[in-house]
Amino acid sequence: MPSHDRTQWLARRILPHEGELRTWLSRRPLVGLDIDDVVQESYAILAGLGCVGHIRNPRTYLFEVAKSVVLMALRRSQVVSFSALTDMESLEVPCDAPGPDAIAAGRQELERIATFIATLPPKCREVFTLRKVHELSQREVAHRMVISESTVEKHMGKALRLLANAITYGGNSPIPASKACEDERARTETSGIGLRN
Amino acid sequence: MKTNAPEQKRPESASEIESSAASWAAKADRGDLSFDEQAALEKWLGADTRRLGAYARALAVNAHFDRAAALGPGFSPDDFEEARPSPPPALKRRHFLFAGGAALAASVAAAVGFGALSAGAAVVTAKGDTRRIALAEGSAITLNTDSRIEPRFEERLRQVDLVKGEALFDVSRDRDRPFVVHAGDVRIRVLGTSFSVRRFDDGAVEVAVLEGHVEVGAAGELHPHSLRRGQRVRVSPRGDFRIERLSHAALERSIGWRRGIIDLQGMTLARAAAEYARYSDRRIVIADPAVGAMKVTGVYSTSDPLGFARAAALSLGIQAIPTADGVRLDRR
Repeated sequence: MPSHDRTQWLARRILPHEGELRTWLSRRPLVGLDIDDVVQESYAILAGLGCVGHIRNPRTYLFEVAKSVVLMALRRSQVVSFSALTDMESLEVPCDAPGPDAIAAGRQELERIATFIATLPPKCREVFTLRKVHELSQREVAHRMVISESTVEKHMGKALRLLANAITYGGNSPIPASKACEDERARTETSGIGLRN
Repeated sequence: MKTNAPEQKRPESASEIESSAASWAAKADRGDLSFDEQAALEKWLGADTRRLGAYARALAVNAHFDRAAALGPGFSPDDFEEARPSPPPALKRRHFLFAGGAALAASVAAAVGFGALSAGAAVVTAKGDTRRIALAEGSAITLNTDSRIEPRFEERLRQVDLVKGEALFDVSRDRDRPFVVHAGDVRIRVLGTSFSVRRFDDGAVEVAVLEGHVEVGAAGELHPHSLRRGQRVRVSPRGDFRIERLSHAALERSIGWRRGIIDLQGMTLARAAAEYARYSDRRIVIADPAVGAMKVTGVYSTSDPLGFARAAALSLGIQAIPTADGVRLDRR
């Protein structure tokens, strides 16, 4: 289970680069691979590291971890052509060019945060604003809004899910539900082919 | 990625995991979890590695928004709804900021480098460090881990002794002032180019040319070998030359250490462990020769031998056991 420090590190040093990582991964021919899976596996590795204090370039590190996750999965799947594997292996992690998702400083970052909060649905937004901007506890939020604590918790969960998408897809449009369903079907079909071979 | 699991009805999708992870993070946000909740969370996390990742990510998103407190109690989200489609100007300013930062860093490096080199002192790096020194005449030297150079700059000749380790030289062109690197008995002469030199413990020297061309020969030799861009020569301790051609990608990878990256593609675990010993005192110990002969792949951080050992263990199905001064790799 990730410690408080590790969570802070992930929030500050990794999360800001996730959008760029997704863009990078989406340009690769990932047969039967889901980018969300790769991202989750990568976070799992980063959360499980013994220590991170010595990682000088977290962005590069994130990309390398994701790349190793993809390679492992490609090897295991056995439906991938050898050339796809070597393509991925020889792939250079983009470096040194801060992309549009790079960490913004001070006031700008705060504006970005405010903008994200503004995109939440009304009730969800009210809960999240009281909890994070006014720094009330979930219990205090429940009292203030005269709703149950479990409702506050549900709104918080929903806010975190929506905000995760907003941050990491560049804040434009989260993938619509129907599209996500298609992806899911495509994934299951590809793995079906893998079994037949 | 558990795609092939016929006994299960269907693999849990990433977005399903994401939803559950967000709910767990919201629960954790309430305060300390109860004993039962904690146990339930651990059980849930243990069933699939992706769940741990999704949970860590949801916690990180929550922590990311902690700084929303700085918006102050006067914050009204409605004021920001119109502000959404305006990233381009902010982006430009950000680029400017980065450029300014880089220029500043470069000028600081130049000042330090010039001071150090004109005094004729040695420049050294400790294990795990890299250091870039910009020279006043426009050249730059980047030192890899555990290395030492001794520059001797004269009016008509720029000379650098690579006493130990590995360095990358970006040499500015100056016809009247050749640049010569000495690596033991090997001498590399250049006009304007970029190349790396590494001295091995056994006395061998490797020179790789990234740009332009260089001449490599034994000290005092009349007919040095000319090496072009993309070529690498390995000079054995006996003085034999072996020249090979590298692809652009391989060439870039060979100097990945500049960015704190180490390329282990196709190496055995034993060699990878030896490579890491250059960068860190944290040791990777492999007792079983069969484990040592396993092939690894990928690119890793030079500063994280333990992270590498863990990743290797994960992908090769062996185990990484922490020891007092590093990690031991062994069969399960």
